[in-house]
Amino acid sequence: MAPLNKKLLETVSVTKRFGGLLALDSVSYSVEEGEVRGIIGPNGAGKTTFFNVTTGELKPTSGKIFLKGEDITDLSPYSICQKGLSRTFQLTLVFPEMSVYDSVWVGVNLRTRSPWNPAVPAGRIVDARRKTEEICHWMGLWEKREELACNLSYGDQKVLEIAMALSTEPSVLLLDEPTQGVSPKETDTIMEVIERLSKHMTIVLIEHSMDVVLRLCHVITVFSEGRVIAEGPPEKISKNEEVQRIYLGEIR
Amino acid sequence: MRGLSLPEIVTTVLFLLINGLIWGLIIALIALGLSLIFGVMGIVNMAHGDVYMAGAVLSFYVVAYFGNFWLSLVLVPIIVLLFSAPLERFVLRPYEGYPSSSMIATVGISFIIQQVALGTYGGIPRKVTNPWPISFNLLGVDYPGYRLLVAGISVLILIGLWLFLYKTSYGVLVRASMQDREMASAMGINVNRVLITTFVMGSVLAGVGGVLASPINQVFYLMGEDVILLSFMVVIIGGLGSLKGTLVAALCLCSLEGVLAAVLSPTRARAAIFIIMAIILMYRPRGLFTD
Amino acid sequence: MNPGRGAERKSVSTYFALFFLLLFFVLGFILPRGARSLVIQMMVFSILAMGYDLSLGYTKQCSLGHAVFFGGGAYGAIFSILYLKVGILPSLIFSLLGGLGLGLLTGLISVRLTEAYFVIVTAIFFSVFHLLAMDMTYLTGGDDGLSIKLPRLSLGFVKFSLYDQVTNYYFVLLFLALSYLILKRIAESPMGKIFVSIRENEKRVQFLGYNVYRYKLVAFVLSAMFTALSGGLYALTLRYGSADFFSFYWSIMPVVWCLIGGLGTLTGPWIGAVIMSLFQYYVSAWWTYYMILFGVIILLILRVSRKGIVGYLMSRRWT
Repeated sequence: MAPLNKKLLETVSVTKRFGGLLALDSVSYSVEEGEVRGIIGPNGAGKTTFFNVTTGELKPTSGKIFLKGEDITDLSPYSICQKGLSRTFQLTLVFPEMSVYDSVWVGVNLRTRSPWNPAVPAGRIVDARRKTEEICHWMGLWEKREELACNLSYGDQKVLEIAMALSTEPSVLLLDEPTQGVSPKETDTIMEVIERLSKHMTIVLIEHSMDVVLRLCHVITVFSEGRVIAEGPPEKISKNEEVQRIYLGEIR
Repeated sequence: MRGLSLPEIVTTVLFLLINGLIWGLIIALIALGLSLIFGVMGIVNMAHGDVYMAGAVLSFYVVAYFGNFWLSLVLVPIIVLLFSAPLERFVLRPYEGYPSSSMIATVGISFIIQQVALGTYGGIPRKVTNPWPISFNLLGVDYPGYRLLVAGISVLILIGLWLFLYKTSYGVLVRASMQDREMASAMGINVNRVLITTFVMGSVLAGVGGVLASPINQVFYLMGEDVILLSFMVVIIGGLGSLKGTLVAALCLCSLEGVLAAVLSPTRARAAIFIIMAIILMYRPRGLFTD
Repeated sequence: MNPGRGAERKSVSTYFALFFLLLFFVLGFILPRGARSLVIQMMVFSILAMGYDLSLGYTKQCSLGHAVFFGGGAYGAIFSILYLKVGILPSLIFSLLGGLGLGLLTGLISVRLTEAYFVIVTAIFFSVFHLLAMDMTYLTGGDDGLSIKLPRLSLGFVKFSLYDQVTNYYFVLLFLALSYLILKRIAESPMGKIFVSIRENEKRVQFLGYNVYRYKLVAFVLSAMFTALSGGLYALTLRYGSADFFSFYWSIMPVVWCLIGGLGTLTGPWIGAVIMSLFQYYVSAWWTYYMILFGVIILLILRVSRKGIVGYLMSRRWT
């Protein structure tokens, strides 16, 4: 059995400055294999910036980031993804004029033997097809597989984006506000998907809704003004006075 | 340049350098207009060179009908304003923020302007008579007074532009819109007015450049092609949207090209500048003065 | 938002291809000389348009520098026939090599640039190459150009002469069909689908682990090669090449063809080329300043639809 307490993703004193603005202040954070972690905090606390720095979209002003023990601080986003870190975005990024099936296929294709193949019709490559079908079924997208992404409901698009992030076979999955802007019914669907995922994957979740985070996460980290101000299991966090103060009015 | 003595070479080089610098001032005006238009509106204006051409053609007609060259410095900006304001509002607005689409759209506009010029002014290159045919003796060389005047006027315009952008409240709005248009709009700035103002300003700069250049270069319906190429190179090297970069790049490039054109043919000199641009792009894909 | 579904949309493009290829095949026998010459041009332009679609329609790279590849391909064929005394088919290989070389040169500098810089720098490339071509008359023949004598095309025991217009016609048609088949294969392959995904959302593809720059570069160079091929065929058809082959016309026309016909549809651009060729043929005879209409057309298409004719047809639901 693999040793527990193995840190899959770790940031060490990561700081990010934008000119005079300090977005992240010496954030040290780690995720262990199998954990489901939540990140909460008021708007502008640096949560998405944290994801951006971790996935290589932004370079930290100082500090280091490690994935499975490897230093990924200076790598480009595509290299980081190849090494096993995948994410979804707050403003869902999908392929508007591509079908659900094809969208999932894109991530799957990279892990096949010849992702650059210019000569064989994509549909004929068996292992890619199998994996794509598998993911579509698992995520409940099979019936909608021929629909163009732009024709899906917003909630379905969010599920699709999670499926796409999944198709890259990540070790850690970062989800940025997966239920934001989604109707209550679709929120349930997404939560169910994340719950199922959490049994197989290490997930880090940025969320605004305390409901989701309290229910699904093993450990919750609270960000405020670029710093981690609290971290712990859900029961402890919901009783934390400082957290309640910051969230005054925002916690339901 | 063989067969010349050393002092003759030095004076020739100086002469070319000053020529290049003065041309660089004119190009700076035009390229600044281009840069402003891109910075605030997100439009790559392929027709900018043709606005310069229109300025030159209009100045030709003003001189022909009124006999006074300086009048064109007043009339041409007005005419350019009358055409460019509705152009921005009704034709170009949908393409703002889209470099590729705006470039194609302005190509279309460029064709129209060129053909209108061809139809009215004709296809024969003509010069506007020198409005100040005095020569000054500079460092032992006879230098055309008009060109010195152009230098003076250009510098005045540049100073005026700087004052406007950095010392007036409206200029601050323009620069704010250049930095971040959404934020500017959210702060209640009337972005639409800023858009029209900027486009008019940029176009007037190009038009005035054309007026100033008309006694120096031949007025020809395709004269904008060469200018737009130079302006693009200037703006790429200096950095799109960086006003300081555009100014520096314009002065340096034109002086350099002026001197090079003595040893190489004009085309080779242009190719040399192009190679410099390519090399700069390798290391600074956003130009020298942007981050 | 459009109601088209994945499987249906593909076939519209294929039907168009079959229709046009068949039409061209039949027309070659029955058209009079003058019209046949026009259709040969349309076919060459179709190859050019398809090649350009690979750049603009498939990876959203709006290059204004493709005249470099067109002229380069033309001169590749001409120089190889003039100086290396090669045959017809090898001369086209030189065209392709010219496209490869120039495409790599331009691409390595331009592809990694952001959109605005990319459009401008490709335009600068075209300008400078045009200038050089006009200037180096000893090499290119400048405006007047260079004429060549075509050798006979020999395939096994049979010899053909491209001086016979009908032979020329079917030679070009063959290359149109071949180009289409190759590009269609690429479009349906994993590489082609990644091109499309880059067009759809470049950031997303990056965050799925793809080195997007490399894919864009490959698309660009392939686009340059097909453009160069069309340039070579054009030179062979005219038995002539001039610095004019580097002019802005060859950079902007493919854009217009693709916009009219439909970006990313492969066959849409053929329609654009056909329509604009007919338009130019008739209108330029009637009005000297027809370029004004041309400018108006550009402004109109951009406003009306980016989808173009075939794109529009592909997006309608067929019950």
